[in-house]
Amino acid sequence: MCVVCGPAVTPNYCVRCFLRSCTIFFLAKQSLSGLPVTGRVCKQQGSQGKAPRSRRRVCSGACPPLGAAGLAPPRPRRVRGHRMAKDRLHVRLPRAGPMAPAERCGLCRQTFFCGRGHVYSRKHQRQLKVALERLLPQVEAARKAVRAAQVERYVPEHERCCWCLCCSCEVRKHLSHGNLTVLHGGLLEHLASPEHKKATNRFWWENKAELQMKEKFLISPQDYARFKKSMVKGLDSYEEKEDEVIKEMAAQIREVEQSRQEVVRSVLEPQAVPDPEEGSSAPGSWKGTNSQVASISQQPSYLDLPPAPELDWMETGQPLTFIGHQDTPGVGNIHSGATPPWMAQDEEYSSGNQQIGPSYEEFLKEKEKQKLKKLPPDRVGANFDHSSSTGAGWLPSFGRVWNNGRRWQSRHQFKTEAAARNKQSHKEKKLMIS
Amino acid sequence: MSFLLPKLTSKKEVDQAIKSTAEKVLVLRFGRDEDPVCLQLDDILSKTSSDLSKMAAIYVVDVDQTPVYTHYFDISYIPSTVFFFNGQHMKVDYGSPDHTKFVGSFKTKQDFIDLVEVIYRGAMRGKLIVQSPIDPKNIPKYDLLYQDI
Repeated sequence: MCVVCGPAVTPNYCVRCFLRSCTIFFLAKQSLSGLPVTGRVCKQQGSQGKAPRSRRRVCSGACPPLGAAGLAPPRPRRVRGHRMAKDRLHVRLPRAGPMAPAERCGLCRQTFFCGRGHVYSRKHQRQLKVALERLLPQVEAARKAVRAAQVERYVPEHERCCWCLCCSCEVRKHLSHGNLTVLHGGLLEHLASPEHKKATNRFWWENKAELQMKEKFLISPQDYARFKKSMVKGLDSYEEKEDEVIKEMAAQIREVEQSRQEVVRSVLEPQAVPDPEEGSSAPGSWKGTNSQVASISQQPSYLDLPPAPELDWMETGQPLTFIGHQDTPGVGNIHSGATPPWMAQDEEYSSGNQQIGPSYEEFLKEKEKQKLKKLPPDRVGANFDHSSSTGAGWLPSFGRVWNNGRRWQSRHQFKTEAAARNKQSHKEKKLMIS
Repeated sequence: MSFLLPKLTSKKEVDQAIKSTAEKVLVLRFGRDEDPVCLQLDDILSKTSSDLSKMAAIYVVDVDQTPVYTHYFDISYIPSTVFFFNGQHMKVDYGSPDHTKFVGSFKTKQDFIDLVEVIYRGAMRGKLIVQSPIDPKNIPKYDLLYQDI
């Protein structure tokens, strides 16, 4: 430690000769005040006596300052594979190089060896920005709920949790109790709590995030009180709404019940009441079952015609003709699972007539199909049918030797010659026969 | 209208029709030609028969002439329509108590066409019972009467 600057300044090494010295640098012979100094003192103190920012320095005595005589200092890069200055010199020094103990950054999810410097690196700041951007919309939504708290019916989706970056803990987003949920209640409660405030402050300090952003992630206790008030209001209004809905449903049910009663009553009205819709008789089946009810309701129909025109089609349409019970005990029918009549063996069936197998027409059809399976006989190639007869024009060559010109011409000539030859042979045959 | 549809007059003819109709739905209307509801149904059947010619074969059967079938299918109300495919009797769940036949007339031609198509598709997939696509409101209601109950 430096006697003048005190223990706050960590000792560092000269990049050239690795002399252990103060960050600010060198063993000085005199202190500010001019008195002789016995211990280690920084040479360049500046007027405030504070350590300057840059750490890459050389010691005063032995090594020339940086940039002098065009000598570039070896930059200790913390890149993998890049050998440190100490390695280059093949010197194993105790705690050589600006190495801090390994630390893990939770935000970047990486181990680093830079000490406090990691927090200022681009990567860390980028990660920080991304993480805060992820958290911000949730907080904003919660902040909106401060003014107008919404109360909803509980849905399992309301169990969702949000990860609070600063406290590194999962927080329930919505506050639910019994059947109801207050949206964003849980998150607000957490954000307003003093532990979160402390954790946020710590987080901001440790990760060196922007101070303006910090305020956005905190909810003051006054805001929380306001939220509580609006929550109470929200609960009341929700209850009112629920009551309304229930009343509506009850009214609807009553209506439906009423219409049903009307339908029943109007159907049971005796014929004396002239109703144009019900001109023809009501279906017989209905009458049968409702005869008892008809006696009860003999009121004149102050009700409108039944509000179910669809029913009319079946009621006022012709009743189905009944042709009698079709059950003979002992003989089964389709419902009892008897053999169908078309499956029952016919008495007229004689064994002579019984022909198993395809009939003649079917046989011919099969033959046709088989023919199609075979390839055309004139086709050249594998499975060539050598027994098939081929005409004179089967070979592709037409026999011309000294031909020039198109193939078509030779073909044409060949054809005319073939025709003439055929004629000749026919004539000869005729002559021979006769 | 029933003169527009082919008629089957005996048990043998019905047997023949059932056994020989291949790859098409066989629609057999059991009823009497003079009955008014049968007339309505025949009207719908004859008007749709040409459109459904590739999917269905429609026949008209008189219940008085084929007592065997009347008894087997337990036809108490007329008209009743029974469906077959490749000799297999197709059952359809109309929402009514009897799945083996359609009792009464259809409300619209489209209902009948839809029903035949659903039966055809179900049968081609190997089903023996299908769900009717007709709106339950349009299915005629009748009481399935049981003896001694």
